[in-house]
Amino acid sequence: MNRVARLQLAGAAVLLLASAALALHGQPTPEQKWNYMAPKYQHLLTDRKVYIDPAELLSLMNDDYIQLVIYDVRNESDWNLFHLVDSELVSLDSLEARRDRLLAMPESAVVVVVSNDEMLATEAWKRLMVIAKPNAYILEGGLNHWLDIYGVPGDEHDGHGRAAGLAPDGTMRHPFTQALGDRHAAAQPDEHHLPVREYERRVRLLKKIARAGGCD
Amino acid sequence: MAPFDIAGLFGETGAYLVYLAIGFCFGFILESSGFGDSRILAAQFYFRRLNVLKVMFTAIVVAMLLIFWSTALGLLDYNGIWVKPTYLWPGIAGGIIMGVGFILGGYCPGTSLVSAATLKIDGMFFLLGFFIGAIFFGETVEYIQRFWHSGYLGEFTLPELLGVETGVVVFLVACLALGMFLFFEWLRRVVYGVRK
Repeated sequence: MNRVARLQLAGAAVLLLASAALALHGQPTPEQKWNYMAPKYQHLLTDRKVYIDPAELLSLMNDDYIQLVIYDVRNESDWNLFHLVDSELVSLDSLEARRDRLLAMPESAVVVVVSNDEMLATEAWKRLMVIAKPNAYILEGGLNHWLDIYGVPGDEHDGHGRAAGLAPDGTMRHPFTQALGDRHAAAQPDEHHLPVREYERRVRLLKKIARAGGCD
Repeated sequence: MAPFDIAGLFGETGAYLVYLAIGFCFGFILESSGFGDSRILAAQFYFRRLNVLKVMFTAIVVAMLLIFWSTALGLLDYNGIWVKPTYLWPGIAGGIIMGVGFILGGYCPGTSLVSAATLKIDGMFFLLGFFIGAIFFGETVEYIQRFWHSGYLGEFTLPELLGVETGVVVFLVACLALGMFLFFEWLRRVVYGVRK
């Protein structure tokens, strides 16, 4: 066997061994991928730069220049009880299937992840960053906090204020009298009829929007 | 973690220099593999020479191993890589047209550039034809929009098609490559009596 043939054989053996080892090793899970990415993105969570106030989400919901996508990552039972207008029920495992859509989003798009509190939405945000790194945010305090602010006492047993003092545990703490989904008044409150709420604006668009005025 | 923002790291000029260096390396490898000679390329289709099969398939396997080992070790974010979406029917039609053009002209677009860069006249004419074809296509694609967007499957890759782990697919492709190298070498010896 000449030198070239020996080199070819060695090359083939290296390729086969490396590919066999890769087959045994496997590819990282979403959790492992997040661990790899964490040094770059964890500070956004730690510094709470991606947690937006309910008032900011409400402002986004009423902004026609922004393509807002709200992913509700709770279970179907809680979703049926109450959800925000135009939000989409998505499980953590089905987020991967939305990758094409996330990648195709324009620069004026904003994704907001909501859950009852923040824990599940934070997990979903991490998953989104692993999948497609969209311009994504988390509803601060979750829907419980949203309902603390925008909830209507008549919709709930004992008035909606009851949930405000309870510790976040990932459950819906507002005891609705009826499962009306997005037909509750709090699903899309009219911000013009609410007291002005001060908040720190955290949503940054990837591209500045040219807002037309007047008759446009 | 890769992929890196080259323009962010080196500035716009630096990024262009990096692209130039990568392009130079790519062209150098193609030329030194004999891809600037249409006779060597066309000989692949008659199984007289296996340069194209060996170089391209080796490049595919090496690239797959580098990409997916890097991903497995957390050095590369695979989701940050652009994977061309699949449009099945236009993809098949385009593959057939390109294959026929490759056999007739002796080049694909990339190798015709390599050939033209080494001042080969056939490569220059092929490149001219390529540009005329590209202009013709650009001016007429609006008439075949429906077909042009047909068979959309998104980022559809072999692991999804086969329903197996990515690493297993890489192993199968490596086996396929080595199997094809051996088979076509054997065929070349049997049909043409080529020893080398």
